[in-house]
Amino acid sequence: MNIEDIVKPENLVYKKPALLNDNTMHYCPGCSHGVVHKLIAEVIEEMGLENKSVGVSPVGCAVFIYNYLDIDWEEAAHGRAPAVATAIKRLWPDRLVFTYQGDGDLAAIGTAETIHALNRGENITIIFINNAIYGMTGGQMAPTTLIGMKTATCPYGRDPKIQGYPLKITEIAAHLEGTAYVTRQSVQNPAAIRKAKKAIRKAFENSMNGKGSNLVEIVATCNSGWKMSPEKANKWMEENMFPFYPLGDLKDKE
Amino acid sequence: MAKEVVLMKGNEAIARAAVLCGADAYFGYPITPQSEVLETLAELKPWETTGMVVLQAESEVSAINMVYGGAATGKMVMTSSSSPGVSLKQEGVSYIAGAELPCLIVNVMRGGPGLGTIQPSQADYFQTTKGGGHGDYRLIALAPASVQEMADFVQLGFDLAFKYRNPAIILADGVIGQMMEKVVLPDQKPRLTEEEVIARCPWAANGKRKGAANNIITSLELDPAKMEVRNIHLQEKYKEIEKNEVRYEEIMCDDAEYLIVAFGSCARIGQKALELAREQGIKVGLLRPITLWPFPTAPIAKYADKVKGMLSLELNAGQMIEDIKLAVNGKVKVEHFGRLGGIVPDPDEVVTALKEKLIK
Repeated sequence: MNIEDIVKPENLVYKKPALLNDNTMHYCPGCSHGVVHKLIAEVIEEMGLENKSVGVSPVGCAVFIYNYLDIDWEEAAHGRAPAVATAIKRLWPDRLVFTYQGDGDLAAIGTAETIHALNRGENITIIFINNAIYGMTGGQMAPTTLIGMKTATCPYGRDPKIQGYPLKITEIAAHLEGTAYVTRQSVQNPAAIRKAKKAIRKAFENSMNGKGSNLVEIVATCNSGWKMSPEKANKWMEENMFPFYPLGDLKDKE
Repeated sequence: MAKEVVLMKGNEAIARAAVLCGADAYFGYPITPQSEVLETLAELKPWETTGMVVLQAESEVSAINMVYGGAATGKMVMTSSSSPGVSLKQEGVSYIAGAELPCLIVNVMRGGPGLGTIQPSQADYFQTTKGGGHGDYRLIALAPASVQEMADFVQLGFDLAFKYRNPAIILADGVIGQMMEKVVLPDQKPRLTEEEVIARCPWAANGKRKGAANNIITSLELDPAKMEVRNIHLQEKYKEIEKNEVRYEEIMCDDAEYLIVAFGSCARIGQKALELAREQGIKVGLLRPITLWPFPTAPIAKYADKVKGMLSLELNAGQMIEDIKLAVNGKVKVEHFGRLGGIVPDPDEVVTALKEKLIK
């Protein structure tokens, strides 16, 4: 029996979103980025915004998101994506403008741009992938690295006396007047993925409806950087990341 | 009907010209001696008339990245700052040049290094013409010597930026920014419609066109072979700009035995010094580079066989003099005169320096 005989159009219950192209992703097996990329592609398609979306990619592993999602993109300097997105949205108010940033990009080098774009109430969405480590540069300490967590630049574990404390920037964002929707999600199982997709949809709708700025944090794994199998990384995330970065909506102006 | 002549500061002329030439956005951050640009725009409220966006960013870093964002969509966007602020912008400038985006940057220079002084200087010549940020790139650099040129170079800067998809910079100094002069402003041009922007910039990232490939604005290319091709393309573009866009002014150069080379406010001082010297029987001419890059190398080289010496008059310790020396290639003596730290020399000092360094 051929695959075409089994997978007939009338039997399809799931398919890859059309906006997600066929380029081979450079992400490590087990990485969360691919799932989040797919969710963004699905939401844009479902909202019919294929020709009205501009994404801003970060410096970090996800810099190449522009190779995978078939919309217009601008690649920002490290941490500057919210400033870049601010200008795009102000100049093209009817476009969906969003950034996709990692923890180092958003919560270390880009802290000022993040806080101020959110607090100005720019009608943009920031998708924030928090895996508590710098993936692309080879596993260094991130602003969100947990206490005791080992990385290439805190090989004996993060010690607050030396490296300070992990930054809960999403909690800060929830206190800002300009934010409409601030949430923390994850994508480690189908239930979590469904919730994350709903959150992205809500954030994008807010952006298009002029409700203010939106921050969707996705607590994620970096199994390569964490030096774990994908399965173990998911378990480790649930046991260690979720207690410090609890999931759920932090702010919803509606 | 004769055009209205108005009196204003150079900084105000920049702001008014930006609105009148149909600019889409200005992103800035306050810093002396150029804060009047943002202040004037805030007072003019162009968002209510032409629809121009005016936004005070949280830093110069953010402002230049807003320019990067806006430029990537094909809109006419600009920023202005002064020396320490322009240093902060260099990362963004490099990205804009690398991604080949058009934009206008204004630097109203003050004395450095560091926080330096708020008084005028021309010490950012190297930063502007030799790089500033990382990588092999060039900025089209216009040096206004009057308030009228502050106004005129806004449109010219945008025209050149879009012609070559390259950032252009107006390199002014605190004198030109702060002094008041008569100026005739351009007529109001409408901003381009979204359709016109898309037609002018089919490369821009502002929403994928139906049936077309998506646009990606980036300066990243990990494959070194492809990155070299990209660099070679940039260099070819720069050669084209060098061929087409050199601008300069000559004053009484025909019979000159000595040549003062000066830009911006120094060209105004040099012009007065020229008059004083000629009263004393010294035949001095003035060559004023209007584009600092591309530099008027050939026009200056032409005088290497004609004059007995050249004086590079600059508000710095000697920066443009290096380009003059490269131009004349040792054929004639080239000396520098300048004051530092925000001091502006008077024309008498220039004549004295000319005599001491080139004639005595």
